[in-house]
Amino acid sequence: MDSLYQFAWLIPVLPLGGAFLVGLGLISYNKQTNALRQINAAFIVSLMGAAMVLSFAILWSQIQDHDPYLMTFEWASAGAFHLTMGYTIDHLTSLMLVVVTTVAFLVMIYTDGYMAHDPGYVRFYAYLSLFSFSMLGLVVSPNLVQIYIFWELVGMCSYLLVGFWYDRKPAANACQKAFVTNRVGDFGLLLGILGLYWATNSFEFDIMGERLQSLVSTGELSGVVAAIFAILVFMGPMAKSAQFPLHVWLPEAMEGPTPISALIHAATMVAAGVFLVARMFPVFSGISTAMQFIAWTGAITAFLGATIAVTQNDIKKGLAYSTISQLGYMVMAMGIGAYSAGLFHLMTHAYFKAMLFLGSGSVIHGMEAVVGHNPALAQDMRLMGGLRKYMPVTGLTFLVGCLAICGIPPFAGFWSKDEILSSAFAANPALWLVGWLTAGLTAFYMFRMYFSTFEGDFRGNINALREQIDGKSPALNFGPGAMDPRELTMVAEQEAHHHDDHHHADEPHESPITMTLPLMVLALPSIAIGLLGMPFNNRFEAFIYAPGEANAALEAAAEFEWSEFLLMAGNSVGIALIGITLASLMYRTRQVDPAAIANRFPSLYEFSLNKWFIDDLYERTIIKGCRRIARQVLEVDFKVVDGIVNFAGFLAVLTGEGLKYLESGRIQFYLFIIFMAVLGISIATVI
Amino acid sequence: MNPDTFPWLSTLIFFPIVATVALPFIPDPKGKGDPIRWYALVIGLIDFVLLIYAFYTQYDFAESGLQMVEHYDWLPQLGVQWSVGADGLSMPLILLTGFITSLAILASWPVTYKPRLFYFLILAMYGGQIAVFAVQDLLVFFLVWELELVPVYLLLSIWGGYKRLYAATKFILYTAISSLFILVAALAMAFFGPDLTFDLQSLAAKDYPLTFQLLCYTGFLVAFAVKLPIVPLHTWLPDAHGEATAPVHMLLAGILLKMGGYALIRMNVELLPDAHAYFAPALIILGVVNIIYAALTSFAQRNLKRKIAYSSISHMGFVLIGIASFTDLGMSGAVLQMVSHGLIGASLFFLVGATYDRTHTLILEEMGGVAQNMPKIFAMFTTCSMASLALPGMSGFVAELMVFVGLATSDAYSLTFRVPVVILAGIGVILTPIYLLSMLREIFYGPENKELTSHEKLVDAEPREIFVIACLLVPIIGIGLYPKIITQIYDAKTTQLVAYIRPSVPSIALRETTTVASASSDLAQAEFRQAPLLKPSEF
Repeated sequence: MDSLYQFAWLIPVLPLGGAFLVGLGLISYNKQTNALRQINAAFIVSLMGAAMVLSFAILWSQIQDHDPYLMTFEWASAGAFHLTMGYTIDHLTSLMLVVVTTVAFLVMIYTDGYMAHDPGYVRFYAYLSLFSFSMLGLVVSPNLVQIYIFWELVGMCSYLLVGFWYDRKPAANACQKAFVTNRVGDFGLLLGILGLYWATNSFEFDIMGERLQSLVSTGELSGVVAAIFAILVFMGPMAKSAQFPLHVWLPEAMEGPTPISALIHAATMVAAGVFLVARMFPVFSGISTAMQFIAWTGAITAFLGATIAVTQNDIKKGLAYSTISQLGYMVMAMGIGAYSAGLFHLMTHAYFKAMLFLGSGSVIHGMEAVVGHNPALAQDMRLMGGLRKYMPVTGLTFLVGCLAICGIPPFAGFWSKDEILSSAFAANPALWLVGWLTAGLTAFYMFRMYFSTFEGDFRGNINALREQIDGKSPALNFGPGAMDPRELTMVAEQEAHHHDDHHHADEPHESPITMTLPLMVLALPSIAIGLLGMPFNNRFEAFIYAPGEANAALEAAAEFEWSEFLLMAGNSVGIALIGITLASLMYRTRQVDPAAIANRFPSLYEFSLNKWFIDDLYERTIIKGCRRIARQVLEVDFKVVDGIVNFAGFLAVLTGEGLKYLESGRIQFYLFIIFMAVLGISIATVI
Repeated sequence: MNPDTFPWLSTLIFFPIVATVALPFIPDPKGKGDPIRWYALVIGLIDFVLLIYAFYTQYDFAESGLQMVEHYDWLPQLGVQWSVGADGLSMPLILLTGFITSLAILASWPVTYKPRLFYFLILAMYGGQIAVFAVQDLLVFFLVWELELVPVYLLLSIWGGYKRLYAATKFILYTAISSLFILVAALAMAFFGPDLTFDLQSLAAKDYPLTFQLLCYTGFLVAFAVKLPIVPLHTWLPDAHGEATAPVHMLLAGILLKMGGYALIRMNVELLPDAHAYFAPALIILGVVNIIYAALTSFAQRNLKRKIAYSSISHMGFVLIGIASFTDLGMSGAVLQMVSHGLIGASLFFLVGATYDRTHTLILEEMGGVAQNMPKIFAMFTTCSMASLALPGMSGFVAELMVFVGLATSDAYSLTFRVPVVILAGIGVILTPIYLLSMLREIFYGPENKELTSHEKLVDAEPREIFVIACLLVPIIGIGLYPKIITQIYDAKTTQLVAYIRPSVPSIALRETTTVASASSDLAQAEFRQAPLLKPSEF
């Protein structure tokens, strides 16, 4: 079996090879490479498939209790400093490998259908492959520096993919915002890494944790400093996993094509933050302040995401806020020490949220046939409705996803969310309360989404509504900060110009098999994978447990009490059902008018619609402030610093002109100055 | 001919200069300058191949001292010698010079105005720059440093943009006045003590009093600060860079700036270590100012060339911090940052030139949506910008990481000094992507700019341009993936240098003499270092 481990580096390298070859083809033989669309795609998908098979083999071998594996080589050195790189394979890695490769593989198949008419089809596959490489490299990293390297690389891939349609202005803004916001988090991560290295002289997770523990216990390092380091490191996950207050980039990242929203911004990259917290668990778990901070960040984010998702009309933005909220659950779980619960939710969420996003992509694909290639129209739920009739597979899988995320047993989300909530209750009832309320909101907004998209009558052909949404009529009802309506019209005109020839059907249609097949495949884990983590027979926890607390699963199983489980589960299912019922009354049977509720509580409605005003706040303070400072510095540079230089030059010319009449030539003057200077220095020395 | 005694470095310096003699006689029947271009390119490549050969056969990585040494008496009365040699500080930069200059010749294919003079100057610069990095005599160093200015001045003032005369004059005044300080300090050091000498090693052996060291250090620092450049002596650079043509640009950013960093290590650090210990905190502060100040000005700049010029200044801040960190890692990072920025800066400036050739404007507002007609240039520009913002997997990241870790773990400074410095330098990590990505967005993203495309024909990159960028990207990514390929060239030298200067820092010297306290802490350190890497059984 060891040879399997010796070749495990192939898992990230295979997609890299694919990206490299196709990229090389694109830059040197652009036309020819672009002409071989599906051949390129098949090449990249099959490489991904090979990586997936390898990952399954490794997971199997890890389940059979194979020892963890570590391979390193010296990467950089200077004097006594040595830094190694390599790869490590343990339970957590093998799980992440399988999650990433399966979702990536399915998303790649889906892409063939979704991007079929896009001129950037081949380039998109190259980027996808590059991203898969970075993400797989991240999960096999044996130390913090290597994690940081791949951390940045996934960020770069996200930048490229969000800005994939570079002719769209909102995409250009979104990709920059994503990268810069992530850099703010990386800034903290870098400082944290430096601090931890300074304190412990190591980049390895276990060693760092151990030494930090002993340094704090002997009093050599104050606990406050250790907590600051931990929180700085946690800034990285805050940005990458879109935690409050660095969550602002994720909804805007929805400007990218939908397959990457599923792969990067739902299943894998955004979960990397949770993964890093899991990796850093040996360090974090000993610092209770940091753990509290993490838990509360997660709880606030979960609540914030859910409250904003309630009023979103763009189907992808709604799902994005839902992702933020679910990531908040995972981070909260990590913060209260529920290691395996958090990772369990990461896995189930990866599958069902990827499916939901791919489902939304299928919806958008269908809508584009009616409203044209205008994201503002094709993604707006107010124009949808009744799609279940036209798109049965998409509708059914979306329903499965909704049930899974709402936590209805026996779907996947129930088991993972319930585990988090019961751990939260044990740790701090206040956290549980936030999580519980969020669960209700989750059920409400997900079924609001489901009902307004798939039930009722199709509204896509109501022209007045279309024009209103498109921003052409003055009654604009867009969330501020979403986009500038003028930009939308500009894009819309351009898009219409480009694509006028192939839309204008009256009814949406079901997507091709390449798109529906991944949906159906993903529906299986969304339904059943939760059964691995039933609290009375928790196989997941027996496999994934926090470093240093082996056999926690057995203890948990021994302590298991039906009454407690039923109480907790009953509570969370109960509030989910309330949410679903409300959504049904408001958006399916329409017995309650949502607009009336919004009018009753205008401030709350505005608060949610404007995303808690966080984006506006950033725009007004940080972004404008930054611009102003930069302009002022430039002015100082131009007027003061350069001004003095020019003035000095002017003076020099004057004196030079003057000296011309005093001295017979310049060379003497030059020598004279030199002589005086040397003399000066010599005298100064003697003194 | 025995390869071990062959004067390699002198040959490398004089071959391109001597080869210029033939330039006026090359027939150019079509008047387009093609034969001249090919001639210059061949000369450049021959010199580069010779350089690689000499490097392979004569240069020993493990040796920290000077290698390939040549001594010839020139003015024995004054103790002036033609003495050249290469050690770990010189060698990477000499290699960089050969590489960038050869590529710059290839990059200057579109230059059609006065090709003979142009290539004469480029080839003269080729030899001159190698000489700056190779000479081991302070007076000769000053001479080649000065001679270097002449080709740059002419290249700026003849082939530059609209404000070329202003920029060239500013450049020459700035650098000429500042290099006066070199001469003064050099003379003072040469005449100090019983024997008159300009040889660097003999100068290093002299025992200068501290006041003298501080004065000389100040003199050198002013001169090299202009070249590097260090804020506030940087204002010549945006003007010079803003007006230069792409190949000159590549040379300015790729090599000329590195002369400042190189000389700072060679003269200030190596010759005057005691003064360096006094000045180092100031250097670190200046480095941080460079990083943040230039990043902010770059963000506000609306002119593409000036924007990238300021980004160069910002990146040089890391060199300063590394030099002043008193750690192996920091010093190593500083040298790597010079090499890395040489490659990245050259590639960015080349691409700016390529973009300008098409859009004929440098004002960001007048561009926009260019990517649709120039996807390849867009791809290359994005890649090089990523390299510049220190994306892992590329050279800039490794260099900046080394400087960061070096400073953070430096024992020459108190924690209260290091923490704010690391935080402020870290802010640079946020600012760099802001201005670079904004720049990309404004040039390439968005819908097609009809106003621009109506009067400019935007064609995509030609194979020559792709080749130049590919040549630059190979080492950029190579170093990023496996930094040892370059650090091993100079590791022996920087380690030796840091060990040599560390006793000059009072706090370190104190710690190393008070045995009891240091022994225990050293033991703790050693214990940490020797601790095994992650053992599989620990999972």
